[in-house]
Amino acid sequence: MKALRHVLLSFDGRNALGSFVIPAQAGIHKETADKNPKKWIPACAGMTNDQGQPTSKTCTLRRLALTVLLAAVLLPLPCAMAQKLPPLPKDLPPYGPVVPFRTPNVTVSKLPNGLTVWRVPRPGFPKVALTLAVRGGRAYDPKDQPGLSDLLMAVMDQGTKTRSARQIAEAFAAAGGDLSGDLRPDALLSSVQALSDKVDGALMVLADIAENATFPDDEVALAKTDALQNLEAQEAEPTFLAQRALAKALYGDHGYAVISATADAINKTTAGDLRAAYHQRFRPDQSLLVAVGDFDPNVLEAAIEKDFGGWSAPSEPPLPEPPRPAGNNQHAIFLVPRAGSVQTSLWLGAFGPRRGDPDYAATQVANAIYAGMFGSRLIRNIREDKGYTYSPGGSIQLRAQAGALLTRADVRNAVTGPSLNEIFYEMNRMATTDPSADEVTRAQRYLVGTNAIFLQIQSAVGSELGWLWVYGLRPEALGQESANIQKATAEDVAAAGRKYLPASRQTVVAVGEESVVRGQLGVFGLPIEVVPK
Amino acid sequence: MVLLLSSALGAAPLRADWKVPIVSRKLSNGLVVVVSEDHSAPTFGLCISYGIGFRLEPEGRTGFAHLFEHMMFEGTPDAPKGVFDQVIEGGGGFNNGDTRYDFTEYIESAPVSALDPVLWLEADRLKTLDFSVANLDNQRKVVEEEVRVNVLNQPYGSFYWLDLPQKAFNTYPNAHNFYGDFKDLDAATIQDVQTFYEHYYAPNNAVLTIAGDVKPDEVFADVEKYFGALPRRDVPPRPDVSEQPQMAERRFTQSDKLAHVPALAVGYRMPPRTSHDAVAGALVGELLHNGEASLLFQGLVKDKKVALSVNGGVNWPLGNPFEYNGPTLMSSFVVYPSNVTENQLLDDYDSVIARLKAEGPTAAEMERIKTKMKSDWYGQLEIPISRASALSHAALFDGTADAINRIPAEIDAVTPAEVKAFAAKYLVSTNRTIIDRVPETKAEKGGQ
Repeated sequence: MKALRHVLLSFDGRNALGSFVIPAQAGIHKETADKNPKKWIPACAGMTNDQGQPTSKTCTLRRLALTVLLAAVLLPLPCAMAQKLPPLPKDLPPYGPVVPFRTPNVTVSKLPNGLTVWRVPRPGFPKVALTLAVRGGRAYDPKDQPGLSDLLMAVMDQGTKTRSARQIAEAFAAAGGDLSGDLRPDALLSSVQALSDKVDGALMVLADIAENATFPDDEVALAKTDALQNLEAQEAEPTFLAQRALAKALYGDHGYAVISATADAINKTTAGDLRAAYHQRFRPDQSLLVAVGDFDPNVLEAAIEKDFGGWSAPSEPPLPEPPRPAGNNQHAIFLVPRAGSVQTSLWLGAFGPRRGDPDYAATQVANAIYAGMFGSRLIRNIREDKGYTYSPGGSIQLRAQAGALLTRADVRNAVTGPSLNEIFYEMNRMATTDPSADEVTRAQRYLVGTNAIFLQIQSAVGSELGWLWVYGLRPEALGQESANIQKATAEDVAAAGRKYLPASRQTVVAVGEESVVRGQLGVFGLPIEVVPK
Repeated sequence: MVLLLSSALGAAPLRADWKVPIVSRKLSNGLVVVVSEDHSAPTFGLCISYGIGFRLEPEGRTGFAHLFEHMMFEGTPDAPKGVFDQVIEGGGGFNNGDTRYDFTEYIESAPVSALDPVLWLEADRLKTLDFSVANLDNQRKVVEEEVRVNVLNQPYGSFYWLDLPQKAFNTYPNAHNFYGDFKDLDAATIQDVQTFYEHYYAPNNAVLTIAGDVKPDEVFADVEKYFGALPRRDVPPRPDVSEQPQMAERRFTQSDKLAHVPALAVGYRMPPRTSHDAVAGALVGELLHNGEASLLFQGLVKDKKVALSVNGGVNWPLGNPFEYNGPTLMSSFVVYPSNVTENQLLDDYDSVIARLKAEGPTAAEMERIKTKMKSDWYGQLEIPISRASALSHAALFDGTADAINRIPAEIDAVTPAEVKAFAAKYLVSTNRTIIDRVPETKAEKGGQ
């Protein structure tokens, strides 16, 4: 099935294409572009966007003297003036009264076989979004077969006991949808949006895939060939190279370090391996079905029982969840040489709270002020004041057992060093001074408001509920998270900045011309380790 | 039991008659205002589209329409740079803009509590701008970084939408670099910004659409309050952008420094959107490219195994087949393995097309693609901001947004014979342009 591609440029604002996912950027994969890309929705900091998908590798680096770093980041900063916000126009009408966020009404049930079902009826718009969340993603792959999950996702809809790959694709199309997959380290979400009066067709085939996938030998062979070519194509993309290096640097030997298969793993994985992994993971007691949209609750409930009721769990226990990562990322620069690069792709990451941790909401607000919205400090500084980059931004990457704050900026070669200097400066400003009450309020309203906008989309509600379940949270968290953001005090936000945003916590990845990176980033005094291909 | 349940589901109410509510007005200064009421969430989406895109940007100023779009966010005398984002994000919303062939649109979405200030800000930047040299220099740099991140630093460099039209068409409006040559971006002056603004950013060249948790009468009153006093302006008449017919196939090879595997782009010229053939053309584009059930995916990726991915359609990827207003292509973008030759791939591509021309689609293929297209069409109308955008383009091109609600019936009315006839007439080699994009390393080896 086609992989859902996350929009990686969080704040593309002002571009020719909106947040359109262009295949050449997103990497090749066997899919037809989404005809209705959700091009207007910012991957805002509050969402579970998977920006980053970091990965792994143990690096042994020298700790450097902190003083060297501080000397580097406390250079004079000409941007200070530009950070001051202009006064509001005198004629500007005020905001109206706040309309409370309407939390989706989720009906929770469980089939006798252990399948959890969350239903969200929304009469009106004539479609239904179905999402099947199955625990077990890349972090559950065998150590010697990293990225086996990617092949599993690619082939699971390529044949069942009674349907060919083509019949499956045609059945989804006949219901008005395409099946798409969202694979992350902790789980795989499969989603389809069908017309309301054809949802039974989509549900039936989704159940067939969950229960009866056969992983035909010829389809596995084709998927392996494609995967090798895809990997080669992805290795041309700076974003992929940066994400892979950052994940290795953050997570080391942990399964969260895997963001894609290796050529070796693709070559050695057999159809038998995929069938075994499928039977281990695809079991009703480790799965959640979400339906959001215009449906008759009784009719849908009966259909779910009919299609999913016969799915039985194997007698052996499910795979154990991955452990907490060590969380000891190194303050160093990982250089990924890319000949011919006209930009340096800078990615920074450090551990933060998990979704559901007490300081998660305050960290969301701190991140929004720092780099998580268009009017954030970093974007005003390196884009709107200095013009170093088009696409800077900060986000929180979520895992069941981890959270990480990520920063990303693609900058022209000549300003590689100045850009990292400004990023470190804005981080340390968050870590050493308190944000203003006005900044906190604006960020809170932004996070809560964009969350309400995002959750207008059926498929977004389905996907958000799916990930909440994966992270062990209840559906009520959907509304609770907005309430928590509003409750965070300026002190909480300042504390989150002090805890998570010091530049000295950051692992830095730089993808670009080696001489450019070495020449301009040497001044920071950090160890520079070249990431092997 | 199973049968009973199935028939119960089959009896669920049919939603094929679902429509979006549309009410519109025109202000005395020519601004068209469209409102679509939807109370499913306490938010709104707003889109203001101007009838100017990169097709009509001046010669010697490639990329200017898009650079100008950036300048619309750089502040005004009353609301200096920074206010716009501060007010919208502080109101719980976000904003964006984008430039296409035939329109430039500005969009905002936020909780309804922010509607008044957002309308004020949109009216304010239609009154005048801060024509600042420093801001132009800043945004020139930002746009150049945008070109680097989306084109120069990417494998394939977006050649299937940036280069293909330049090869497929003959005249400047349709065949220039829409992102802009750096020398043209560098040459742009603040006087250019002012002139372009005065020519095209007029209420009588715009459609303002608001969808969401609003009441039409209240919106019309608000819009009158903020936009009513803006003067009508003389907008330059739209030049003839039509092309002479293509007489022969055009083929090109490009080398790619960053790509690791080759890719092919094919573009067929399409009839005008308002012609009778256009809807059949939309179906053909979707039959060939929409999803894993599509003819090209099944033919090239699955059956012949000569391609890794297939994408495309009419007016792809910069819009859908129902929103263009000048010469347009049906484009295919195919990434293929290094051990397959361009001619092998093209032979198999052509045999998929040949079947459509000879036999037309099957009844099942027709029914499926119609369902899929209607579902996709509804999908883009789901949330207020994308609904506002679709309504606004329809009103801009046709003078009324009602076309949005007619499209599903138009899709339904297309016959298999019309699809077959369309393919036979338009999907011919003399009507197409092909670019093969080859990794530099492979090109050096002589294309082995």
